[in-house]
Amino acid sequence: MHSRLTAFVLAIGLLTGVAGSEHARSDIAVWREIAWPFPRDAWPAGRAFQCTAAACGEEVEIYVRPKIGFCNCEGGVADDDEVDRVADLDMISQNFVPLAPGNVVRVADMSGRSRAYDLEMTDGSHHAAIGIALSHRCDLLVAVAQAKAAAPALQHMALKFLASHEMTDWIMSALGGH
Amino acid sequence: MTGRVELTACLGIVLVAVCGLACAQPQVIGAPPEASNMKLVGTNDLQARSAYQPTIHHQGDRWIAYIGHHGGTDDIPDPLNPITGKAEPNGTSIVDVTDPAHPGYLRHIPGQEGKYEGGGAQMVRICDGKSLPKGDPDAVYMLRTFGSEAHEIWNVADPANPVLVTRLGGLKDTHKSFWECDTGIAFLVSGAPDWRTRRMTQVYDLSDPAHPEKIRDFGLPGQEPGATGAVPTELHGPISTGPQGNRVYFGYGTDKGGLLQIVDRDKLIHGPKQPTPDNLRYPEISRLAMSAFNGAHTTFPMPQMPIAEFAHDKDGNTRDIVMIVDEAIVNECGEPRQMVWFADVTVENRPMMISSYTVAEASGSFCERGGRFGSHSANESMAKVFYKKMAFIAFFNAGVRALDIRDPYHPHEVGYFIPSITASTDKRCVTVEGKDRCKVAIQTNNVETDERGYIYIVDRANTGLHILELTGAARAVAGLP
Repeated sequence: MHSRLTAFVLAIGLLTGVAGSEHARSDIAVWREIAWPFPRDAWPAGRAFQCTAAACGEEVEIYVRPKIGFCNCEGGVADDDEVDRVADLDMISQNFVPLAPGNVVRVADMSGRSRAYDLEMTDGSHHAAIGIALSHRCDLLVAVAQAKAAAPALQHMALKFLASHEMTDWIMSALGGH
Repeated sequence: MTGRVELTACLGIVLVAVCGLACAQPQVIGAPPEASNMKLVGTNDLQARSAYQPTIHHQGDRWIAYIGHHGGTDDIPDPLNPITGKAEPNGTSIVDVTDPAHPGYLRHIPGQEGKYEGGGAQMVRICDGKSLPKGDPDAVYMLRTFGSEAHEIWNVADPANPVLVTRLGGLKDTHKSFWECDTGIAFLVSGAPDWRTRRMTQVYDLSDPAHPEKIRDFGLPGQEPGATGAVPTELHGPISTGPQGNRVYFGYGTDKGGLLQIVDRDKLIHGPKQPTPDNLRYPEISRLAMSAFNGAHTTFPMPQMPIAEFAHDKDGNTRDIVMIVDEAIVNECGEPRQMVWFADVTVENRPMMISSYTVAEASGSFCERGGRFGSHSANESMAKVFYKKMAFIAFFNAGVRALDIRDPYHPHEVGYFIPSITASTDKRCVTVEGKDRCKVAIQTNNVETDERGYIYIVDRANTGLHILELTGAARAVAGLP
């Protein structure tokens, strides 16, 4: 992991920019892979990335991991409650409140839902977060992106990141292949 | 039998004979079952439907098996019912097992349309009308799920001609419920639409099955409507010890983040009912949190077990034990091992895990056989023939395992039976480099026993029902002649 950490700097060409954030509209957002910051739980660790404030307007981190055998094989991600349950928000904070109903999203050939949250951190501060749950047969791909301040472009940024060639390659490999 | 089939069968027999259980050979059609201290008595193919929970009921002078089914498969969503000549979505099979050597298929009641866990009628419990406080004494009631959307009660007094009595619908999921036949109180595993979890508990008074009365909704704080933040893991199923024992043992989680919750039954039924966090905590006595690696599919209570090793101890020579069975859900060992755990809950606010059991993977190279390997469920009959002496564990491709649990601090296997596959046995696949790699293997899903000492196992991969009996040392453990 460490060699990958030091070597891996994923440059995502956001050539079309990210609506809603002046900084995020910059042509290139640079995501740097960081160590998985959470203790071991029911699923193996995933991958974590950081985008600097200079590139993304606010410092943004995104955590991505597959959950094998954790999805309704037929129905996929059913509703917003399922995003609340599975999207790993609780790794960051046990106290999170959805800000609005979520929406259907697609990444590569996976469909699912995304929802925006307010996270109350242990020090009393509040973070903005986006939870994403995507289904692939009977498996899930979950991602959660967080920023210290409100980040209206967070969902777009996170989905763009997940849809990058590098990430979709890894995601599909982690889910058993294309 | 064609020459090719004969050749395959012979090859299979030779392979089994030469390798025993040590080789990683796939199961082949025609090979004999693998067994130790357990013997096949009879079979029924259950119309090649994926089977979940069997319940065996002594009904007059007959013995009837009621067997819940998962939904159909991609290849055959609605298998043919030869009795009606129609393709029917998987539901409930009713089989006369009075003569266990010659089970007679009586009736298939269709379930919810849908494949795998998206349809069918997985769960089934039976109560005689004469035992229910307000039941029709001539009726025999079957409580079953209808896929994910409803619970149903049928009168199966004539098991070949069941009649629908009641339907409790409008749910987003269901699962393995529990019904007290002497009080009528039912703990229904439901997905109430406004709760934040797929599976929680709806407590009902079903003492008069024609007129169900809801008592309350129940779950873990954080699952209730309007809650925010982390959502606790979902319910799998409860088992109650009734008014005398006054405990309900709830198992949460399936293969991850398991939790045994010990609940005061009286406080649950008669306590404040609004689903507030305080009210949900009120009846809870304690919890035993398991590793994140394991879930709690079945939480089977065995109170007041005498422990031979402790017989001369001045205190603590009987123990309250709960057997916890995890469910494996990923094919070919794609997850941490799911197995069986024994918890000593004598001191209820300090429940402690005391022992575990798993099939030795190397004894059959089970990770390579195909399908799931690991535990799923246990027999739930409390008939004295096996209760507190033996437990039977469905272990997917390792068949059923007979455990001597008389000393729950040191449970050990005394027998096993892995059925032969048949032409109906469905494949199980994993994705390797983007392509499906499929194998055909037994997937013993659930097990139940009857008062006569027969063991009934059913297969998730469509191989049907196998009725077994103990032999040799295992028979001696149960005290059977």
